[in-house]
Amino acid sequence: MSAPSQARPVRVARRDADAVGRRTAWNALFIAPYMLAFLVLLVVPLGLGMWLSFQDYDMLAGYGGPVGWENYERLLGDRIFLGSVRNTIWFVIISVPAFVGLGLFLALLLNDDSRKSSFFRSIFFGSSVLSVTIVTLVWRLVYMPDRGLLQNIAGMFGLTAPNFMTTEALALPGIAIVTVWWIIGLPMMLFLAALQQIPKEVYEAAALDNASRWRVLVSITLPAIRRTIVLVAVIEVILQFQLFGQANLITNGGPNNASRPIVMFIYEAGFRDWMLGYAAAASQILFVLMLGAAMLQMWIGRQKDGG
Amino acid sequence: MTITKLTSALAAGAIVAGALATSGAALAQQKTEISFARFFGACDADYGTSQDYQKARGECGVMTTLVNHFNATNKDNIVVKPQIIEWGPYYQQLTARIAARDVPTIAVMHTSQIGDFVRSRIVEPIEDDLKAAGIDINDFTPHAKAGVTLNGKVHALPWDTHSWLWHINVGMFKQAGLVDAAGAPIVPKTVDELMQQAKLIKEKTGKPYFVMASVAAGDAGNGARSFWTMMYTQNASIFKDGNFDKADFNSPEAKNAFEVFERLSKEGYITKGTDGAGALGGFIGGNGAVLLTGTWRIDDMIAAAAKPESGLKEYTARIFPNLFKQDAVWADNHSWVMLRGGTNPQTRKAAQIFMKYLWDHNFDWARGGGHLPIRNSLMAEYAKLPERPNVMRITEIGRSLPHDVRRQFGFQSLIGEEVNNIINGNKLAAQAMKDAQERADQLLSRR
Amino acid sequence: MVLGRGVKKLDLVDMLLLAALVGLAIVWVAPIVWVIGLAFKPNDVLMRTTGGIFAPPFTGKNFRDILATSAVFGWMLNSFIVAIGQTFLTLAISTLAGYGFARTDFPGKRIAFILVIAGLAVPEQAIIVPLHTMFAEAHLHNTYFGLIAPRLAFPFGVFLMYQYFKGVPREIEEAAMLDNASRLKIFFRVVLPLTVPAQATLGIYTFLHAWNEYFWPLVSATKPEMYTLTIGLAATQTNFAQTEGIGFLMAQAVFAGLPILILYLFFQRHIVTAVAGGAGK
Repeated sequence: MSAPSQARPVRVARRDADAVGRRTAWNALFIAPYMLAFLVLLVVPLGLGMWLSFQDYDMLAGYGGPVGWENYERLLGDRIFLGSVRNTIWFVIISVPAFVGLGLFLALLLNDDSRKSSFFRSIFFGSSVLSVTIVTLVWRLVYMPDRGLLQNIAGMFGLTAPNFMTTEALALPGIAIVTVWWIIGLPMMLFLAALQQIPKEVYEAAALDNASRWRVLVSITLPAIRRTIVLVAVIEVILQFQLFGQANLITNGGPNNASRPIVMFIYEAGFRDWMLGYAAAASQILFVLMLGAAMLQMWIGRQKDGG
Repeated sequence: MTITKLTSALAAGAIVAGALATSGAALAQQKTEISFARFFGACDADYGTSQDYQKARGECGVMTTLVNHFNATNKDNIVVKPQIIEWGPYYQQLTARIAARDVPTIAVMHTSQIGDFVRSRIVEPIEDDLKAAGIDINDFTPHAKAGVTLNGKVHALPWDTHSWLWHINVGMFKQAGLVDAAGAPIVPKTVDELMQQAKLIKEKTGKPYFVMASVAAGDAGNGARSFWTMMYTQNASIFKDGNFDKADFNSPEAKNAFEVFERLSKEGYITKGTDGAGALGGFIGGNGAVLLTGTWRIDDMIAAAAKPESGLKEYTARIFPNLFKQDAVWADNHSWVMLRGGTNPQTRKAAQIFMKYLWDHNFDWARGGGHLPIRNSLMAEYAKLPERPNVMRITEIGRSLPHDVRRQFGFQSLIGEEVNNIINGNKLAAQAMKDAQERADQLLSRR
Repeated sequence: MVLGRGVKKLDLVDMLLLAALVGLAIVWVAPIVWVIGLAFKPNDVLMRTTGGIFAPPFTGKNFRDILATSAVFGWMLNSFIVAIGQTFLTLAISTLAGYGFARTDFPGKRIAFILVIAGLAVPEQAIIVPLHTMFAEAHLHNTYFGLIAPRLAFPFGVFLMYQYFKGVPREIEEAAMLDNASRLKIFFRVVLPLTVPAQATLGIYTFLHAWNEYFWPLVSATKPEMYTLTIGLAATQTNFAQTEGIGFLMAQAVFAGLPILILYLFFQRHIVTAVAGGAGK
C-alpha cells in the first residue's frame, strides 16, 4: 500500500514519501504516549524477563544471584516442562487443521446474503464473544462424567460417554473441541471476507463451462484465497500456542499432566511456586517456539506462492 | 527545634483532619475494616444475611453466620470482610496476594502448611496477640497445639482438628450382610477383608464399595489423605531417619498403599472419573457404600440420610480404619494466622478481638462443621453430638507430617494426583511410585 | 448452495451439506440450551440427576439468589470499567501514534517504527512474569489502572491505524496545510473524522479482548472486590461440590454471558465486519 520512498527528491534525506508537512521533532509527540507505554510496559519487561531467566530468583526464598544457563538446563531435564511442550505442540497440530478446515467449510456454506446464512453465521460466531470461564463452565457440565450432557445423551442409547476429563488420550482432544466450539467464528469470518473478494465473473465463466462444484472449489476458490488460508493458519498457530484458560479450568492440566500446556507451566512456575527465574526462562522458550512456528508457516506459504 | 515545630504542626493538622473526618461522618462512627481470607465455600444464597449460627449447618453455613453475627453485634465497630477463595487454589492465591502486596488481615491456614510460610518469614509468632485477646494457650488440645507450634512458639490460633473418615451407607452394608448383631457396620481390619467386603457389596448391590472424587485439583487431597493414613497405620513414612530433604517412595509400605488403589481400581470397587459434586451426589443417591471424605461432611450426611427420597438409608461415620499394624489416621488442623505486613496497630487490635470471638465460638464450628474442637474444655460436650463418639479418638491417633517437611502442599498434590491416576486407570501402582519419586526429588531439589 | 447461488434445485450433495450444517448448529447451540435449562432447576434435584431438564420442577430461585446476593454485579462492573477504559485509551494512543507514523516525519521515526513492528511478535506470556514484579513494586495490583495498562503496550492497534492512515489520500491534509491550519487542528478537524470505521474496528476488538482477558487479571486482581467477571466466575467453578450448587452456578454463567450476548446481537453486523477487517489487514 505504501509508495516506495524514492518518489521524493534526494536532497530531503530519508524523507517519508507519505508524510505531510515539515520534518520536525515536534511530530514525535504524536507517538509519544504510545511509545511511553510501549517502552515501559513491553520493552522493559521483555529485557527484564530475559535477564530474569539467567537468575535464581525465588519470590519466597529471595534473590540467589545469577546462575547462567542453569534455569534452561533444568527446564530441559524437567519432565513436566517437556511434557507441556509436547502437549502444546500436539494441541496446535490437532486444533489448527480443525480451525482451518471447519472455518473454511462453514464459510463456503454460508457465503451468501440469505437470511438462512446470516442466521447460521450468528450461531457459529456468537460463542466467540463469551469469556473463557463461561465456556469452560458450560463444557465442564457437558463433559461431567456421571451427569453431563454427553453422558445423558449416551445414556439414552444405553452407552457410556467417553470421559474427556480423566482419560489421558482424550484430554487434549476434549479441550480442542471446546476451543473450536468457542472461537471458530474468527477463521470463519476471515474466510468469508476473502471469499467475498473473489469476482463473481470468475464463477459465471466456470458455470458456462459446466465445471463441477468440486473443480470450481479446487481450481478457482482455493487458489484465490490461498493467502487467507496461510494467514488463518498463522493466526491460529499463534493463538493456540497460547492455550491456557481452557486447560487450567477444565482439566487443570491433568490427568497425569496430559493436558498441561506451556503457558500453564509458566503460570504455575511463576505464580504458584514463585520461581520467577525459572518461569521467565520457560517464557523465553515459548517465545522462540512461537516465532519459529510462525516463520516456518510463512516460509511454507511463500514456497507455495512461488510454485 | 524546627523539626519539633514541624511535627507539632503536622500533628495539629492531623487532628483537624481527623476531627473533620469524624464530624463529616457525624452519625456513622469510625469503622475498622479487616479482611478475612478463607476457604470453606460461599453460601450467601442460603446464609447471606443470617446470624443464626446455632441453626447453620455445614462449614460454610457456620462460618458465614458467625461472621454476620460478629459484624452485627461487636461493640468495637469492627467490620470483618470475608474474602472467599476455593480451597484448591487457596494457597496459590494467598501467595499471589502477598506478591501483589495485598495482604489480608487474617487468613485461614492448614497447620500442615504453616512450616513453609514461617520459613519464608510470612507467618510470625502471635503469642502476644493471643495473650492480649485473652485466649488461653493451655486450653489447646495436644494435636492442635503441636500443629501451630514451630520453634517453640505459637504461630496461629487453631480452629479445629479434622481427619479422614469412612462415611458409611449402613443400608448397603446390611444388604451385603456386613453388619453385626446390633446392626452396626463391620469395618474391615485387613486389606484382604476390605477386598472381600467390596466384592460382597458389588455382588449384592451392584455398586462400588468406595465413592471418592478424583478429578479436580482439590481432589488430590482425597488420594493423599488415604495414602498418608495407610502409611501411618503401617508406622511408616516417606522420610527416613529425620532426613526431610529426601523422600523415598520405594519402601514396601508405600508399595502396599499404592497397590490397594490398584486393586480397587482393577476390580471396579471405587468410582472412577468422579468429581466432588458427583461423589457427594452419588453417595447420597445410594451409588456406593463408603464415601471417602473428611469430618467436615458428617452433618451434611446426617441431614441427607434424614430425607425420605435419599438413597443413603442409614448413615454412620468411622475413622478411616487401620488395615495394617496400628491405629493411626491422617489429621490436620485449620488455624488462623496473621501475615506479615497485613496489619496496622488498629487492624491488629481488631483482629485480636475477632480472634477472641472465634475462640469463644469454637464449639459452634465443631457442631455445625463436624470437625473436632481444639479446646480441651469443649471435648466432653462435643462427644454428646451425633456420630461424634465414633471420631473422638482422632485427637489420640491423628498424625501429621513434621513441620520440617518442606513444600507439603506440593507433596499432597503429587501423591494425590498419582493415586488418582491409579484410580482412574491411567497408571499401575509401580509406575505411579516411580513417577511420585521423580516428582518428589524435583520438588525438594528447589531451595 | 456452496457455489450455485440458488441457480439449481437442491441435489443430494446440497441436502447432505445442509444436514451437516444443521447438525453442527445443533452442536453449537445444545450446550447453551442445556445450561439455560439447568439454571432453572432446583439445586437438590441436580445433585441427584441432571436428566430431563425440560420436565418440572422448575425454579427461579437461582436467579433470585443471584439478584439478592451474588458478587456477579461487582465483577461485571469491574469488567466494564476495565474494558471501556482499555478501549478508550487504546483508541486514543493508537490513533495518535498511527497518524504520527503514517503521516508525519521526525528524527528517529524509522527506528521507532521498526521497534514497534518487532513488538508485534511479542506474546503476552513472554513478559507477564517480570511485569507482575514491576507492578507489585509500584503497588499497582488490585487497581483499575493495573488491570488496564499492560494491554496498552501491544502494537496491534498502532499497526492497524497506521495501515488505515496510509490509505487516506494525503491531498486532503495538504489542502488543509495550505490554509495554514496547525498540525493538531488538522488532525482533530480533518483526519480524525475520517477514521471512524477504523476506530470502530479497533474499539470492538479491544473491548472484546479486554472483556475476555484471563491471564493478567488472574495474577493481578487478587482481591475479590477487584475480580473481573472472567476471574470471578473462574474462582467459583473449580469445585462444584463446594459451591452453592450446579443450578446456581449455571444461572450465574447465564447471567454473566447475557450482557455481552445482547451487545453482540445488537451490534452483530459491526462486530463481524470489525473482526474480519481487523485481522484481514
